[in-house]
Amino acid sequence: MKKNFAILIVFQLFFFSLLAQPGNLPPVDKSPMDMSYYPANYPVLKIQDKITEPLAARVVYSRPQKAGRTVFGELVKYGEVWRVGANEATEIEFFKPVRIGGKKINKGRYTLYAIVNEGSWSIILNKDTDTWGSFKYDTKKDIVRTAASVQKNDTVVESLAMAFEKTSSGCNLIIAWDNVKASLPITF
Amino acid sequence: MRIYFPLLIVFIFFIACNHKEEKKDTRIIKIPTIDSSAMVKPERTVNPYVPVDVSPMDISYYPADYPKLKMTNSAIKPPYARVVYSRPHLQGRSLFKDVLKYGEPWRLGANEATELDLYTDATIQGKKIKAGRYILYCIPEKDNWVISLNSNIDSWGLHPDESKDIARFVVPSKQTKNSVEFFTMVFEKTNDAVELVMAWDNVEARLSFIF
Repeated sequence: MKKNFAILIVFQLFFFSLLAQPGNLPPVDKSPMDMSYYPANYPVLKIQDKITEPLAARVVYSRPQKAGRTVFGELVKYGEVWRVGANEATEIEFFKPVRIGGKKINKGRYTLYAIVNEGSWSIILNKDTDTWGSFKYDTKKDIVRTAASVQKNDTVVESLAMAFEKTSSGCNLIIAWDNVKASLPITF
Repeated sequence: MRIYFPLLIVFIFFIACNHKEEKKDTRIIKIPTIDSSAMVKPERTVNPYVPVDVSPMDISYYPADYPKLKMTNSAIKPPYARVVYSRPHLQGRSLFKDVLKYGEPWRLGANEATELDLYTDATIQGKKIKAGRYILYCIPEKDNWVISLNSNIDSWGLHPDESKDIARFVVPSKQTKNSVEFFTMVFEKTNDAVELVMAWDNVEARLSFIF
């Protein structure tokens, strides 16, 4: 009963959002976009004058939902290039030079991809920005390809989440969805 | 009873959806009042790493849908501009009664300050603006909006720092026939310019760029 009610609410929201965007205005994405900074919450710290270390990185990505599906191995096929998001390709920006996988990365914008396998992920930084998904992924434009460490979580993460966590040598980019969490070390 | 009421609403709007739009303006405008009871914070906002925003972020490029165009035409020239902004929704509120006040700065979005990325130099109302990253906010008045281009990038949208304004532009605002539930920013090409359309509720303002 409660579940039916929830489903109906979802349907209502769906119809409202369709109706609420007249003319040619863009509808609201099913997988909403989001951004994460390192240092975490940098924009809030900035207006509070509480910044203690300089801006290093930002990721802009869309957040698909698990929605009852098995994510890794099914929705995201093992061994194939995945856009680590939805809709527009996931963008990672560095505001100063960093090192990833032993390689120096200049400051600037990059597109982030991953190749997921059970227990191991390859993370790819590619210089072809402002693109859609991974449909036109071109290995020739790769900047770096490196392994991320992967662990299984007990809890299930419904919406894809990305965040930067402080480490002793920089930060880790955390990518979490369903019951998997990957971390990519970034040093600076 | 609890179950039938939403079902009825879905049904009514499903019917409304399938009719031609021009006759249904009155119904469309009425939606937000019903919307308010349904628009609770969705359960899916909960997340152990990063909560999902109630006002989702979105991105609009010029040329419109640039990333999709690029997918079908890899020889495409670089984009001219994009905005990255969050999309608050009315949830039954009336924009200038319940959400915004005339004469008070508004961040043209929600959460992080709305970002304008110019990939190339542009001219706005005769003023040359260099390629780069900026934030935008506005000061709405009844018949016009002041749009402010500001250099305090990577900041949160509240309390914009006016001392970092780079330029201010006054643009007319107009009433629209239909109400827009989610705040919307989109670039539209006109004969001699590119307009950044800013629309919410039944108000629309446009800022013209020449690239």
